[in-house]
Formats: sequence, C-alpha cells, structure tokens
Amino acid sequence: MKKLKKINSQLTKKILIGDLFLIFFFIGLTVFLTLMLWNFPQGEYLKIQMGNKNIGTFSLNQNITKVIDGPIGKTEIIIDSGKVRVSKSPCTKKYCIHQGWINQLHQTIVCVPNKMSISIIGNQSEHDSLNY
Amino acid sequence: MHFNKLIFIVFFFIAGCHQAKIVEKKDYIFGTIVEIKVFGENEEAAVHSIELVFEEFRRLHHYLHPWEKSILNEINKSIRNGRNYRTEDNEIISIINYNIELESKTHGYFNPAIGKLIQSWGFHSDQFANTMPNLSHIQDLRKNLPHMSDISFYKNYFTFKNKNIQLDLGGYAKGYALDQAKKILIDNNINNALINIGGNIMALGQHGDRDWVVGIQHPREPNSIATVTLKPGWSIGTSGDYQRYFMVDNQRFSHLIDPNTGFPANNAQSATVLMPPSESSGALSDVYSKPLFIAPENLKNSIAKELGINFYMVIMADGKIIISHDMLNLIKWHEKIEKDKLTVN
Repeated sequence: MKKLKKINSQLTKKILIGDLFLIFFFIGLTVFLTLMLWNFPQGEYLKIQMGNKNIGTFSLNQNITKVIDGPIGKTEIIIDSGKVRVSKSPCTKKYCIHQGWINQLHQTIVCVPNKMSISIIGNQSEHDSLNY
Repeated sequence: MHFNKLIFIVFFFIAGCHQAKIVEKKDYIFGTIVEIKVFGENEEAAVHSIELVFEEFRRLHHYLHPWEKSILNEINKSIRNGRNYRTEDNEIISIINYNIELESKTHGYFNPAIGKLIQSWGFHSDQFANTMPNLSHIQDLRKNLPHMSDISFYKNYFTFKNKNIQLDLGGYAKGYALDQAKKILIDNNINNALINIGGNIMALGQHGDRDWVVGIQHPREPNSIATVTLKPGWSIGTSGDYQRYFMVDNQRFSHLIDPNTGFPANNAQSATVLMPPSESSGALSDVYSKPLFIAPENLKNSIAKELGINFYMVIMADGKIIISHDMLNLIKWHEKIEKDKLTVN
C-alpha cells in the first residue's frame, strides 16, 4: 500500500501541461474521428433479385409496394422513402418479415424459401465508364 | 519530440482516410458525349488538362467532319471534280496513308472510301429518316466500289483512281482522338485518366490501386451486359447496330455498311475489341471492331487472329456470343450466360 501511494504521488507530481495537452488532444481526436468516420452511408436504390435473375433496381426515394412472384408464391415489399421491408411472404418462418425495416447501404434481406433477396445499393455504379 | 512524432502519425492517418478525388468533365463533341475522368490530381491541373483535350477534340471534329466544312470535305470535293489534291499538311497525309494501310490489313472490311454508300443510306445526317435508299444507286456504287488503295500520295499531291471515293473517317476519328488525348494528358503530367468518346474508351494509368473498370453495353437492353478491367494504356471499342440505325418493315438497317454487299451488315448486334497500349491503340480499337462486326461468322475468328486481336467479343444477331479465350478470362458477366450460347475461340 505504501509503495503504491508513493508511486501515485510521484505520478501526480508529474502531470504537466504537456500531459494535459495530450489528454485533451486525444479527447478531441476521438470526437473528431467519431464524427468523421461513424457515418453509415444511406443507400439510394433497392436491388431486387429472384434466384439469379435481376428483377430490377428501384429508387428508395418513393412510397410504393411491390409484389414479386417467386417459386413458392408472392413476396410483398414496401419501399417507404428511404427504408424498405418485406411485408408479406409465402415462406413458413417469416424471417424476412421479422427483419423489419432496413435503410443502410449494403443491408440485405433474404428469403431463402422464395429465392428472393433485396439489398440496398448506393449510387455508385459497378463500372467507371460505359463502352457502347 | 515524441509528441511531434505522434501528431505526425495521426495526421498521416487522417490524410490516409481521405479518398483521392476524381475530376470528371463531360462535353458534346463528335456528335456524341465525351467524358474524361482524372484520378488523383489537383482539381485545377486536371480541369486545365481536360479543357486542352476537349479543345483538341473540337479541332479534330472540324478537321475530319465527313459532311460539314473540313479538310476531308475539301479533299472529297477535289475527287468529285476529278482533280488532284495538293497539301503539305503532314497530319492529314499520315492519317490518309494510315487508313490506306488499315483497309488493306482488314481485307477491305474497314473501308473509309465508301462515304458515298454511307451517305446514300442516309447516315450523313444527325437525324436520319426511316427510308430505304435508291437501291439501283447502291448497286452502281457497289459495282464500282472505291478503295483506299485507289489513293496515292506523291510530291505533295494526292491522286485518285476512282471518282466514287468519298472519304468518311467516322470509323477512325474517335479512336484517333483517343490517341491524341493520351499525348496531351501525358504531356501535362496527367497519368491516371479514363477517356470516353461516344463509347470508345482509353484507360491511362489506374483508378488508385485498381485498374479502371468499364461496362459493355447490352445491344438490346438498357443495361450493361458485362464489365472488363482495362489495364494501363488499353483501349476498348465497340461497333454496334443499336446507336445509329433505322427500321423499315421491322428490319434493322445500321450505319455499318458491308462494302462487299453495299448493304448494312446484319449478322451481328455488336463487336467489341480491346487493344493493348501502342501509339495507335485508340485508333485500332475503333477500326478493328468493324471487320469483326461485318465479316461473315466463319471468318471472324481468323480475321481477329490475323490482326492480332487477342481480346474480342461478338454478339451475333441471334444472341449467340463469339468470344476469344483471353476475353472470356477477363470479362465479368452481369447476367448468366448459357454455355451453349458461347463459342470460345
């Protein structure tokens, strides 16, 4: 105990202005990096696939309901200005419905029984330019 | 001392988080959209260089225009009037001489002397009508088909053996412009860029630490059928029947005229070639897609081999795809292609 106290008092003595500067610098840096990097980019489009077939890409910036035909029945998808969910599905477990709303880039809902997947994609194209 | 080091490291870290910016400019030249992307340069330098390239494109557009006022038009006037054409313009001399060589190399499938045929089919206009040409006129032109080899150059004079010659460099000019753009950008220390002139694309350098990626348009659908990566200095060109064409009685007539028949070639929907870096990589990517589009199916591969085109793909009229082995290894399909649709050479 005595020894610890000694060390402690030595440490206290040694807190200097530079140490304070460092402490504040790291607090500042943490806040700065959090603000800068902690942004989950929002997607712009919803890509719907059925099996290996691309059903289409739809803007997220609308309010519509889409009904997609799959091998075991119809899946209903709701796009509601920026977010998406599966509202009806012919599958038994309904995992896809329980997943609820998604709205972040690269988030995906898959319904395996109906071979359907929807995912949010950005406005970034798959290529830099187009040859035609 | 340590503190300074720390700040240095932290700033490096933050700087590393910033993405290098792409500077991108578009314009409407050569009757089409031109687009240049520059990677990783400061904006001012990039914009300045892109403007220089656009300036060169505008010059070439007026220099080589097939039917508006241009040096090409002056030459065509001389031919019509049965006169020789005197010039000391080294650029047009080397362009025409190179096109003479290209016609012979492609066994006449690329023939820039058939401007009259292209005009008769109505493609010498920005807006063309859905009407058939005078077919007897087409037959006449075909019987007395002009060739680039009917042109010779001697002591500052071009002479012409066939009065039907009408130069149309529509299948060469955009590719040539790519080669010119490359020179200008490199002279201005722009080493990473992507140049797209109406679908003909050249890649300079890379997009950061990856190669440039280019989509290939599906000839019958609004999306791209596949993507390919372009290594530094490579060019890609496609000839297709889906941009400049008209329909009569449900039949498609494209601007790609087969010099042997005088009619639009119709065995393919599109032909794509990739050409490796060279002084005329851009021009070749533009020109070499023509013989692969026009030539009959059984000759396409042998022509590609002869011309040294290792990367090519032809989508035939029935949707089947003829593709070279190298191209198949490079290409990334956007849709599932049935194996029986593919012929790999």
